[in-house]
Amino acid sequence: MSIAASRDEATHEDRSDIESLRRAWHLAEPLKGRVARGVAYRFAQSMMLGLSFGVVIWVVIGLAEGEALTGIWIAQAFGLMALSLAGQLMFGYLSVRNSWLSSYEVAGHLRLRILEKLRHLPLGFHQARHRGDTVTVLTSDMQMLESFFSDGLPRIAQALGLPAAIFIVLLTRDWAVALATAASIAVALPVFVGTSRRLSKLGLSRQDKQAEAGARMIEFVQGLPVIRAFNRMAQGQDDFRRAIDDFRDISIQMVLQLTLPMALFGMIVMLGAPLVIWVTGLRTEAQLMEQGAAITGLILLFSMYGPLLALLGVMETVRMADASLVRMDRILSSPDQPEPADLKPQGHAVRFDAVNFSYDPAKPVLRDVSFEVPERSMTAIVGPSGSGKSTVLSLISRFWDANEGRITIGGADVTRIGEAGLSDLVTVVFQQVYLFAGSIRENIAMGKPGASEAEIEEAARAAQAHDFITRLPNGYDTEVGEGGAALSGGERQRVAIARAILKDAPVVLMDEATAAIDPTNERAIQTALARLVEGRTLIVVAHKLSTIQAADQILVLDDGHIVERGRHEELLSGKGLYARLWSHRARAAGWKLG
Amino acid sequence: MVALAEGSNDAEPERNAEERPDFFASLKLLLRYGDGTRHLLVVAALLATLAVVLELVPVWMVWRLVVALIDGTTGPGLFVSHALISLVAVVAGTALMGIAMGMSHVAAFRLIHALRIALARHLARLPMGWFAGRRSGRAKKLIVDEPERLEALVAHGLPEGISGLATWIAVTIWLFVVDWRMAIASIILTPLAFALMVIAMGRSSSLIGQYQKLSERLNGAVVEYLAGMAVVKIFNRTGESLSETVRAVRDYTDIETRMARQFVPLGALFYTLVVANITIILPAGMGMMAMGWIDLPTLAFFVILGANYSQPLLKLFNLFHNMAHISMASTLIDSVLETPEQPDTGARTPLKNRDIVFENVRFGYADHDVLHGIGFTARDGELTALVGPSGSGKSTVAGLIPRLHDVGAGRITMGGVDIREIGLEQLMGDIAFVFQDTFLFTGTIAENIRFGKAQADEEELHAAARAARAHDFITALPEGYETRLREGGASLSGGERQRIAIARAILKDAPIIVLDEATAFADPDSEAAIQEALNELSRGRMLIVVAHRLHTIMNADRIVVLDEGRVAETGKHETLIAEGGLYARLWADYTAAQAISLRDREQEPAQ
Repeated sequence: MSIAASRDEATHEDRSDIESLRRAWHLAEPLKGRVARGVAYRFAQSMMLGLSFGVVIWVVIGLAEGEALTGIWIAQAFGLMALSLAGQLMFGYLSVRNSWLSSYEVAGHLRLRILEKLRHLPLGFHQARHRGDTVTVLTSDMQMLESFFSDGLPRIAQALGLPAAIFIVLLTRDWAVALATAASIAVALPVFVGTSRRLSKLGLSRQDKQAEAGARMIEFVQGLPVIRAFNRMAQGQDDFRRAIDDFRDISIQMVLQLTLPMALFGMIVMLGAPLVIWVTGLRTEAQLMEQGAAITGLILLFSMYGPLLALLGVMETVRMADASLVRMDRILSSPDQPEPADLKPQGHAVRFDAVNFSYDPAKPVLRDVSFEVPERSMTAIVGPSGSGKSTVLSLISRFWDANEGRITIGGADVTRIGEAGLSDLVTVVFQQVYLFAGSIRENIAMGKPGASEAEIEEAARAAQAHDFITRLPNGYDTEVGEGGAALSGGERQRVAIARAILKDAPVVLMDEATAAIDPTNERAIQTALARLVEGRTLIVVAHKLSTIQAADQILVLDDGHIVERGRHEELLSGKGLYARLWSHRARAAGWKLG
Repeated sequence: MVALAEGSNDAEPERNAEERPDFFASLKLLLRYGDGTRHLLVVAALLATLAVVLELVPVWMVWRLVVALIDGTTGPGLFVSHALISLVAVVAGTALMGIAMGMSHVAAFRLIHALRIALARHLARLPMGWFAGRRSGRAKKLIVDEPERLEALVAHGLPEGISGLATWIAVTIWLFVVDWRMAIASIILTPLAFALMVIAMGRSSSLIGQYQKLSERLNGAVVEYLAGMAVVKIFNRTGESLSETVRAVRDYTDIETRMARQFVPLGALFYTLVVANITIILPAGMGMMAMGWIDLPTLAFFVILGANYSQPLLKLFNLFHNMAHISMASTLIDSVLETPEQPDTGARTPLKNRDIVFENVRFGYADHDVLHGIGFTARDGELTALVGPSGSGKSTVAGLIPRLHDVGAGRITMGGVDIREIGLEQLMGDIAFVFQDTFLFTGTIAENIRFGKAQADEEELHAAARAARAHDFITALPEGYETRLREGGASLSGGERQRIAIARAILKDAPIIVLDEATAFADPDSEAAIQEALNELSRGRMLIVVAHRLHTIMNADRIVVLDEGRVAETGKHETLIAEGGLYARLWADYTAAQAISLRDREQEPAQ
């Protein structure tokens, strides 16, 4: 699944390294100053190193020109070197300090910003996504960004600082040699930018192909039990082999396309060396250049190109950080769900007015859906799978917002009641329940902050949970573990129902469970649910015959439309879709093996 | 290339952080699975070293020219010849390096390929249950991500490491040959810098335990925040749950900052000193010249060559840094490859019947026992049902029959022969196991059904689909049987996928059918069709069924009631009800649960 996700993320990745740098810089928002200082200090450190080279030139040329090596001169050189080293140490310290500390703070801020952002997104956003992807953004992607800010960015400054200093020194000695050293860089740079852009495009198709081969490999491992159960080892391994052969071939092809421009870049930069030698020769022989300047150029040559070649390695880090940035952007650029709270509902009737909704404009999920659920009545929604039943519930609780039409509770549009207002009105009972790490008591009390001991117990009793809770060694103080892992599925469900009972919201939305559970738990849960919905406005995606039969109103959905509505008896005599569904289910309910 | 691997972490934090990486694990894998790649790597390393030597040629040329300039011996053509030699060296050197990198990548991908094949072969011979407890993220990690990490080591680490090491040694020797006193002055800062780095890393590693804990807590807090988002919104408790996550983020940032503060002073020294050799070389050289130990060309030599002395070592250092991660990956692969295979006699054993008998079977997973001495008989041709409260071990019992796991103690026999004595192929041929979760492969519907019998012709294929009540919906699809299913069969509804899986099992035509809660339908709307399909599948065959919906197995020849890993009762429905034991209680709960409606119908509608 995550492979599929990374595939469509890839469409964003068609941007150059420069653009990624700009984007990363933008994310450093509150700490831009410190990040910039870290980079500037690193540049300064590099320039201070450049001072050392200046001293070297001064001394070597002086000596070459036959000046005497006096004690004072040595002392001066020594002093300047000490100054240079001290400067390097100071700026080096300031740089590392600023870069490291600010990188962690940037990540910390960004984590909080994303967490805050996440809760303002419609819940549907989270349900449509693989949860692991979001966790990755907050953990390993963020680490990637940290190492970009603490290490990658300063290294770029360092790689540029020394060459810049050397270039300045050279310009003062001989403009032609200075230009010759810069020439190879000037030619290499567009090659670099060009290939990096082309590579990110190439990377797209490679990712697609690799993802595909990867998916086939994963499928083999996941399908192994089936392969074994059907004695199809040979065929399974053939398929697998084809997948990894493809994977290998794509990877090799890709790498060859990648190594070539990289080697070319290095070659062009280093060709500066023969060029500078040749130009130096031309100028000395033509007496246009003195011996000192010639020596300067030659000595500084490699200290100029070395750091630039190191940029290649940094760019790898930039590209890695870029993938992380793309994933962060997906979250940060999603539109928030607006939460105005300017309407107060009168009563608790629920109404759909010509509602249209789709996740994907090409595939409408609900089309022109209108119905009314009177206060305290019970409405069952039935229909074939994929007809949009659960979507109806999602829209009332604002997991998503309708594209067109209006949904009201007590006459107030649900999009204008506010988060708190809607939460007071509506309880949702999911098929899958989620408990938080903490005690059972805390989990139940979540339904009503400040609930008394007696209220909590009463809710647990109503939810058929009190007995099993008190049988636990620590009773209500039992820790349920992450996600409620310490309790069985049936027990978790009952605790969640107790939480909902305590919350006491007038509208209950329920997606009736389809998975079979052991009879003892099923009975308890059924009893608990009956207590929860007592006297409320209830809308239920129904699977149980007893539930459907008891409904005041049944809505039959087909392909996003309400095709029939009414009570059980009326619909049954209608001989339409409902009658067909009903007979299927009635037959299924009586089925016996053997 | 590693980028693909990122962004795929499991939602839950991996719990194996305490495993120590074995730094030689990757080399071990290379030795064992590197056939056909080792010679490539040797050549790549040689070429890389040669390239590095060629890289030094321009340096040498420059030095000779500087010496000539100092001595005033430059003549016509000297610069041109040196420029030409440098040109050739640069072109040849970078080309050779490019070739070396290309070769090492080819070697890396071949090694990864070999590893994946080895993993697949081995995984196929592990007990099938090995996969049960593992999330799909794990499979991806093992077969896609982790082998991929070796690329960094084999493709970059080996040639770059070896050539870096070679350059470092060559340059060091060269320096010492020219003048040992100046050589010492040139390199003195390097060991100092690295020593400081080691101390710096040691200092911040005292916090590493705490860091691991807080990092796990951050992971857990984020997972909980996301998993509970819906609940939080519905209960409008956003503030509270966010605050715990915020605390986790803050504490994590704090520990990172503390570690950084400990690291920064010495780490900064390292980053500065490691490139600062020149600041020592010049004053030392001037001093030595004053003493008459060296001449100007020698000084020039050290200035040119000594300034970048640390570069290859820095490369090696970064490489070593990555080793820890790569070794983790290799350790995981290695540990999987060392997991013992499931023994298979491969024998074809004639069986007098297919009665399956559990004799005092015990079984447990790593951390807890599940079955404590199970004994029962499932007769050939009969319907045997396994029922019981959740956690009683029903599914485990069913899984032991096709050897998803092997028993811990006791034995299971089929026709009187221990199933471990029967070859796996024969056993699998006799049993069709319908899994709780339907798994279909990418490919056409026809291919998926033919999985049950590769050589089945069109007619058999359609007959199986018809029997599984799948033919009608398949032919209604625009491409019929040739419709391609996407990953995991996602384009069909749950009920449709289930029926294709049943068609596959029908085509297989095995005499024994094991249904593991296959009656718990994902899709209530095609329930009736699935039931008919199951009827077809089980017609005339021996059936072992795990079931919660008790009325579906009322007619079973034998109901085995399990409770906490033991057989509580066995018998027919009526007998068990009459006995008034656990089954009778379950039955009472079951019928009650069916009868309780969410709400009583208040009034008849007033028309």
